Amino acid sequence: MNVIETHGLTKHYNKGKIKALTNVSLTVPQGQIFSLLGPNGAGKTTLIKLLLTIVFPTSGSAKLLGKDISDYTSHFKLGYLAENHRFPEFLTARQVLYYYGKMSGVEKAKLDVKIPQLLELVNLGDWGDTKIRKFSKGMLQRMGIAQALTNDPELLFLDEPTDGIDPVGRREIRDLLQELRNQGKTIFLNSHLLSEVERISDSVAILKHGELIRQGTVEDFISIKKQYLLQIAEGNETLKNICKTNEIPLISQNGHFIVSVHDDAHLNHLIDRLREKEIVIQGITPRKISLEDFFIDVIEEKAEVV
Amino acid sequence: MDRIWAIIELTFRESLAKRTFMAFLGISTLVCLLFIFALNLDIVDGMESYISIFGQEVNERIYLDELVYNIEAGIAAVLFTAGIFMALFATSSLIPSFLDKGSIDLMISKPLSRFQILMGRYLGAVAIVAFNIFYLVIFSWLILSIKTGIWNFGFLLSGVMIVLAFAILFALMTFLGIIVRSGPFSLMITYLVIFISPWLIQRDVIYALLSSKFYGYMLDGLYHFLPKMAELGEITTYLVQGNSVPSWLPLWTSVIFGIIMLTASNIIFNRKNF
Ligand SMILES: Nc1ncnc2c1ncn2[C@@H]1O[C@H](COP(=O)(O)OP(=O)(O)O)[C@@H](O)[C@H]1O
Ligand SMILES: [Mg+2]
Repeated sequence: MNVIETHGLTKHYNKGKIKALTNVSLTVPQGQIFSLLGPNGAGKTTLIKLLLTIVFPTSGSAKLLGKDISDYTSHFKLGYLAENHRFPEFLTARQVLYYYGKMSGVEKAKLDVKIPQLLELVNLGDWGDTKIRKFSKGMLQRMGIAQALTNDPELLFLDEPTDGIDPVGRREIRDLLQELRNQGKTIFLNSHLLSEVERISDSVAILKHGELIRQGTVEDFISIKKQYLLQIAEGNETLKNICKTNEIPLISQNGHFIVSVHDDAHLNHLIDRLREKEIVIQGITPRKISLEDFFIDVIEEKAEVV
Repeated sequence: MDRIWAIIELTFRESLAKRTFMAFLGISTLVCLLFIFALNLDIVDGMESYISIFGQEVNERIYLDELVYNIEAGIAAVLFTAGIFMALFATSSLIPSFLDKGSIDLMISKPLSRFQILMGRYLGAVAIVAFNIFYLVIFSWLILSIKTGIWNFGFLLSGVMIVLAFAILFALMTFLGIIVRSGPFSLMITYLVIFISPWLIQRDVIYALLSSKFYGYMLDGLYHFLPKMAELGEITTYLVQGNSVPSWLPLWTSVIFGIIMLTASNIIFNRKNF
């Protein structure tokens, strides 16, 4: 079953002057961690807000848990960590979880059991009776995650969950999300970076200027191309021409060249062409392309978009 | 219902965290303590033979029920004017603050309709003010009644009137808060509506000064549309004094104004992007 379905979801502001999101269609199956990636201003938050009816679409439609988004009853099974969320500062950690849990429709008796567990889960066990206004950014973010879990949701929306969280905390969030996925929950993650958290995603989609430019599994993204660092003595123009005629993407970086090829045969084919022109090859080094690099390449339009 | 109650409770708490309401509760307590200790009456046949206020003996003979009614009317008048003034001041930021990014987002993500969210907030604000007003009204009523044996239920009714008047004005503040998202602005406009209400009653006098009939119609329209605070104040006094109210019309038209404001607020709130 698809937990999230969108059809041509579009949100334009200021009479079409700001195209926050344009024609986004995607599906998220149950039990997955789905990461929506893209630079700041790409439209990631807008997509979540559309799904939760915090903003209304210019056009298009969407379903959550099989119900049209306009039906708020699907929100019973939903948790949300808002970007830059703000809890009332005069409440203690425990009170925040209590009131927002109640708003999610959780009974008091259940909350009494659940709240200490959640505080423990996000390492705020000793802070339950402290006022939120004394919390650091990282603690508030962890509060936000605990809040999103008060109703034991089937579907979790996390907008920039690693914002303000240190590397150790990130690893803990990663483990927590894996644990939640193992329980069969679906997690929809927004992020402008690719920390270890996003790496555990089952699917990834990349948004740029409000448009979905890529979608697939993390493996798809990593194994797209093999890249090699190529050093040659001279003949830069010849290399560029050869790459152009053979349709091999070439990136020039601090005096080096990076070529992307499909496989070994493809690489050797390129070497043959270079040797035919008597270009002296000084070195060929395989370059490990990290998901991070790939992500940056895609959003900066360095890598070719398939 | 539990979910809306959570919003009401949260709003209640937020207001209580503000000093204004704590100050109000403090002053109310003080006033009631004064009645307990400073007012001593010896009663003979419905007329007191001896009254002492602040230990000073009052020699003139006054009818006891008149005295009680006057004290209660005084409290009601202070509540209707200064009390509502303070209550509006203290609640003016409640609507704009709840529309802040990061806070309203979260509420909309809850299994609540936007109507329920806004009404939860509205009722929460009215609840805290009602709590404050009834605290003083019921507390002082009990003390005065027990001490004198004169049980004036009209005073309790006046409490209802004061809360109702606040609820009507807060509907206007809610409407303005949603449109301009500014507490001080909403507050200024609401104060203005209160201040012009006695002038609008006397609009006949102003007619003479007007150059065109059109302005006269405008004044008439304003009078009929806006909440009639001055007349609601009079009704409150009639209620405390136990007099019959000559006309309830100002109340009904003011209530209609409140309902219009709440409906408009809901329509706008329902369509807003956050
Ligand atoms: N309420 C709004 N009015 C006008 N423009 C908006 C509004 N909200 C978002 N935008 C614009 O829409 C674009 C996408 O924003 P957002 O979804 O927040 O991006 P992201 O979450 O990917 O950083 C940005 O250019 C932003 O300025
Ligand atoms: Mg964002």
